[in-house]
Amino acid sequence: MVEFYTVKRIDNSRLVRHVEPVKTRNLYKTVALGSVVAAFCMMYVYQHFRYIDLGLQLEDLKSKTQQARVLNSQLKLNIASLRDPRRIDLIARDKLGLTQPTANQIRDYASSDGSEFAEVRNPGPTRAR
Amino acid sequence: MEQEKVHVRLLIFAGCILLWITAVFGRVAYIQLFCHADYLKKALRQQVHSIEMYPKRGVIFDRKGHPLAMSVPVKSAFAMPGEIKDRALAARLLSGALGISAEEIRDKMDSGPSFIWAKRKLTPEAAEAVESLNLKGVYLQEENKRFYPKRDLAAHVLGFVDVDEKGLGGIEREYDGAIRGKAEKIVVLSDGRQQVLSAGEAQNDRGANVTLTIDEKVQYIAERELEAAIEKTHAPAGTVIVQDPNTGAILALANWPKFNPNAADSVPAERRENRAISQIYEPGSTFKLITLAAAFDQNLIRADEVFNCENGSVTVAGHLIHDHKKYGMLTVADILANSSDVGAIKISLRLGSQKFYEYIKAFGFGTPTGIDLPWESRGLVNRLEHWGSYSIASVSMGQEVGVTPLQMITAVSAIANGGMLYKPHVVEEMSRGETALPIEGASTLTAPKRIIRPETAATLRQLMEGVVLHGTGKKARLDGWTVGGKTGTAQKIDPSTGKYSATNVIASFSGFVPINNPAVTILVSIDSPGGYPHGGGDVAAPVFKRIAEQILPYLDVARDVPTSPQLVAASFHKNSDTSDDSLDDLSPIVFNEQPDTTQPYSAKPQAIKEKPPKSPEVLMAADEGGDIAIPDFSGKTMREVSESCMRLGLNPVLIGTSVAVQQSPAAGAKVRRGTKMTVEFGDTQVHASKSK
Repeated sequence: MVEFYTVKRIDNSRLVRHVEPVKTRNLYKTVALGSVVAAFCMMYVYQHFRYIDLGLQLEDLKSKTQQARVLNSQLKLNIASLRDPRRIDLIARDKLGLTQPTANQIRDYASSDGSEFAEVRNPGPTRAR
Repeated sequence: MEQEKVHVRLLIFAGCILLWITAVFGRVAYIQLFCHADYLKKALRQQVHSIEMYPKRGVIFDRKGHPLAMSVPVKSAFAMPGEIKDRALAARLLSGALGISAEEIRDKMDSGPSFIWAKRKLTPEAAEAVESLNLKGVYLQEENKRFYPKRDLAAHVLGFVDVDEKGLGGIEREYDGAIRGKAEKIVVLSDGRQQVLSAGEAQNDRGANVTLTIDEKVQYIAERELEAAIEKTHAPAGTVIVQDPNTGAILALANWPKFNPNAADSVPAERRENRAISQIYEPGSTFKLITLAAAFDQNLIRADEVFNCENGSVTVAGHLIHDHKKYGMLTVADILANSSDVGAIKISLRLGSQKFYEYIKAFGFGTPTGIDLPWESRGLVNRLEHWGSYSIASVSMGQEVGVTPLQMITAVSAIANGGMLYKPHVVEEMSRGETALPIEGASTLTAPKRIIRPETAATLRQLMEGVVLHGTGKKARLDGWTVGGKTGTAQKIDPSTGKYSATNVIASFSGFVPINNPAVTILVSIDSPGGYPHGGGDVAAPVFKRIAEQILPYLDVARDVPTSPQLVAASFHKNSDTSDDSLDDLSPIVFNEQPDTTQPYSAKPQAIKEKPPKSPEVLMAADEGGDIAIPDFSGKTMREVSESCMRLGLNPVLIGTSVAVQQSPAAGAKVRRGTKMTVEFGDTQVHASKSK
């Protein structure tokens, strides 16, 4: 059998893809609209999870604040107990060797803040002449 | 052909995908649109909870703002037995951490599958131990626990609470509703892991804070001196009250025996009893003040009038009454100073039962004073129609009448302040945050009532000074201040015989300092002091003196009697055991420790074991007293008063307008430079009518 090979030259250079402007415009519009919708969806989802995350952080901070308040209360209690007059009295007498001043011993008469005359709130009648 | 096959397969595949998408979206649409309400209900049930929040109980402060009672969050252990697989093991492990028996915990767990308390209000160490066990079904919850950081200080005033922080005594009970606040429900949103996403805020009704009239330092001094007196006399009980006679405010209220409210449930009920307001006793000679007050106010006697005390005995309605000494002719002043029963009886007979009874009721006896503490006794005063022929004599001596220490000091304060009966109170103010709250109901302060004329009160004050200067109350005399008072030695009824005991007495002393413009009234009452002498002048008067000596300088009460200057030798002894390091061990006192009522604290300092090395002595000038005599500012204008004060070196505090009507310290008192001089200004006529 004799085979004959022929060369078929295909020249597509003269072919130009037909561009339809309307379809192109529609495509861009669709992409833009889709992007906007996608952005809104992303924003909504982000806000939702951010809200939950912030809520958890807030509760965590509230918990820390509460712990700080508890510690503050405990410290106030400790301060109050350290200021117990009996405790100070015992330390003054037993540890520091202090004794009670006599009635006429030297003492500071400058009024400290907070001291007040017990009688001046409503002084009694003046002495009769 | 091939292409057609591929095309068909693609179409079938696409169709399946489309079907699947349709099914999914259809299901979503069905859930969202048709089952929305149902699923929303389920979600809310899972996520939304409401929890009850109990506000922290308010703080109780003394008058200077020092906290005496406060609530602090602590952990409590609870279990959900339904979640615990091996209850025996859990009970054993918890027993070690909580310090209670495993059987007890096991019994609680077996009582039901749901919530049980393992132990409430744990110490921090116990809470840490439970947390470290990490047992499934065992959890820790925060609760508030009431602490009294000064332990037994003012325990009878403060009261105590139960495990649920409900007030059971004292101020805690009286103002329980306000101090507790109101429980409130808040809404909480949580996720699938029960983490809280958001929670509402508790809006209002926090517990109210209460500020007392009690002064922490004065209270401690009163308790310490009472304890020392109890130790010295081996008495089973005693009471000390310190009051401001010009307002009725209680500065200190001390009872023995006392207790630690941090562990009140471990203490017998009798120790928790507030004897100052509930103990009724026959006041004895102290009641002569009322007899004389009534007689003076009715102008029936004069201070220098002489009565025949019949050599120590008198018969009234067939009863023979003996004086403790054989007195002959005594003035009224001497009758009070020497506490003559015969003299008092004669005065009361002149007064008459009707008038005497009216004055007894006017002084507040037989009626609760209305103090803002629970379980106050009204005392015991027989109605006039039940008085026998002998009653007037009995009552004039302070028998056949029952009073509480609070009623007695309130009456003495009325004499001290010029004749006005003030309602005693221990609450100064209540507040929630920065907002002051009104004190309502029975605890509201009422206007004082005039019960005797100012002249009567002034006369009695002078006579009471005589009791201390040359009467039965010499041991109450102070150096630097004038003192007025009255002793009392009231015999107690012997329950076995039903008659008055010769040995068991209630020794008391009631007095005020100074005579003019009294600043404080103090009552000391010792129940059944041992040993002899055991009278009020020997047992109670020295306690009055010791308390007054310490609190008067603290309260800045000016001396009104010049003191002789003294030179004292002072030297500094450094305790050989003392070093800076030893001050590091200042651990707080254990809260739950009860005061040792068998061996009270001694007021005497502990002896130094080693003799300290000799150190140089220094001669120092002691307090020489004041050297500025206070002038009388009555009727002077503000400018004149200011100029006088500046010239004398005093620190003026001027209140009001117009002319001076009252001053403190009083005219004639000796004070130092820089002493505060308070002068009230007003209309003299208005002031005179107010005084009547």
